[in-house]
Amino acid sequence: MSITARHKTSIGRTLFRCVGLALLVVFILGPLVQTIMVSFVSTLPHDDLARGQLTLVNYRNIFADPDLVASLGNSLIYVSLNVVLTLSVALPAAYALSRHSFVGDRHLMLLLLTFRITPPVVLSLLVFLLFARLNLLNSPVGIALIHCLFNVPIAIWILTSFISAIPREFDESAFLDGHSRAGFFVRFLMPAIAPGIGVACFFCFVFSWVEVVFARILTSTGGKPITMAIQALFGFTTDIGLVMAMTVISLVPGVALIFFVRKHISKGFQVRA
Amino acid sequence: MRNHYNGAWLLVLPAGLLLAVLGVVPLIAVLNYSFFDIFTLQDRFWVGAEWYQDLVGSPDLYRALARSVLFTTLVVLIQFPLGIGIALLLPKGTNTSSFFLMVMAVPLVVPWNMIPIIWLNLLSQDLGFLGQFLTWMDWSFDYKFNAIHTWAFLLIIDTWHWIGLVAILAYSGLSSIPAPYMQAAAIDGATRWSTFRYIQLPKLRGVMMMALLLRVMDSLMIYTEAFAINAGGPNNATSFLSLELGEQISAFDYGPAAARSALYFLLVLFIAWLFQLSLRRNDTAKENGL
Repeated sequence: MSITARHKTSIGRTLFRCVGLALLVVFILGPLVQTIMVSFVSTLPHDDLARGQLTLVNYRNIFADPDLVASLGNSLIYVSLNVVLTLSVALPAAYALSRHSFVGDRHLMLLLLTFRITPPVVLSLLVFLLFARLNLLNSPVGIALIHCLFNVPIAIWILTSFISAIPREFDESAFLDGHSRAGFFVRFLMPAIAPGIGVACFFCFVFSWVEVVFARILTSTGGKPITMAIQALFGFTTDIGLVMAMTVISLVPGVALIFFVRKHISKGFQVRA
Repeated sequence: MRNHYNGAWLLVLPAGLLLAVLGVVPLIAVLNYSFFDIFTLQDRFWVGAEWYQDLVGSPDLYRALARSVLFTTLVVLIQFPLGIGIALLLPKGTNTSSFFLMVMAVPLVVPWNMIPIIWLNLLSQDLGFLGQFLTWMDWSFDYKFNAIHTWAFLLIIDTWHWIGLVAILAYSGLSSIPAPYMQAAAIDGATRWSTFRYIQLPKLRGVMMMALLLRVMDSLMIYTEAFAINAGGPNNATSFLSLELGEQISAFDYGPAAARSALYFLLVLFIAWLFQLSLRRNDTAKENGL
């Protein structure tokens, strides 16, 4: 191949790359840009505003509606509870699976895998009946608990892969220095796998924040999270601007988290069976 | 290396107990209910395997299964080449790629019931870009009554939603390839294709299996988006496995719904087991230096 020909293909390749990535960004961001734009437009006649006018009225209306404000609180409460609960049971389990083999470990892995991929619809009815008996309906605690079903397995996978990247000698030297297992966890292991904990938090947050099947069935009359509060806005006349403003707000925490874990997001997925 | 130590169960116990209460208890209850005709929860009759016989004997089950399998196949055929292609386009370890990864991760944090709302709004004739564009081009896109359009719409939405996951995982697999491998290939004058086929693709296998499992299960049991877009229509053309189950639950057919749930759970367990087998084979291959 002559030098000019090679030069030409490399220009062609760069062009292809730029066009491809530009199309990708348009495809991904297009629907979101539309959402953000509609959230700033008045879509129902409000007091003195004509339809179609640019305005902040939708955002004002969110904070004027106590149900919507409460739903923001409910969502944040159940997601935080879920992340804390998930990590506190997943961390020791991930450590055990990474450092030891034991009777039944493969069956445990199969169980984790199965629960991660069991669709919520399959369990929704019975979970509703179980939680009704345990008095956990219509409260953020119920949602936080049931979301552990798919988040605990994810957190265990991600943390196991980060812990396995640390050599055993690291643990042994801490034990030789006389640290207890609990002390080792808090003072040595957790700081060493901080990026892994961040990635695990991110994925737990995401999967819990976006889930709607369990959230719907567990909060039929109260304690509604954002997702269900938006659903309740649909009616005979739907203020689509308000719906979009609420959607935009529901994206803020997720996007902020993406920004925080952007450097590590692609590292947590080396899985072992 | 891992040593054998059964005391490790103590560390796994909290997670195991939590999952047992949240998952195993409802599963056992599902099995129990599937053998009863349930009028109210106090008033029920033993019917044995009747629900299972009805279910296995009904052509609707196989039609729904066929639709779900077709949907999953299309999802995999579209999203995997596309996701791997995107990952190959991204330059390794730069701020540019981290920007693109961030952009692609955004649809993952959109609540699932918002996704159809966003897309329906995009298609609306008076506010949506896409709706106005289609009207302007005089193209008709009838996702309510034209089955092919409904399918295409669902596939586009699903791809928008999940392409980021596939691309991020593919990118993480590609980043784990040591630079000397690629340099050696370049020195040997390997073509772009053979570099991909013999160096990059084998290294992607582990992460892509993970992506495949997540994508296969979520698309096989797609519920929220499909229900919101067309509730299984037109003419049941998008009535997937989960939609049929959801319908039974909302009709308070507890017994048959429980039997169906139990059957679906067996399917899930089977897929998880297949996946574990293939991962384990992958691990042994690695240990043998292959």
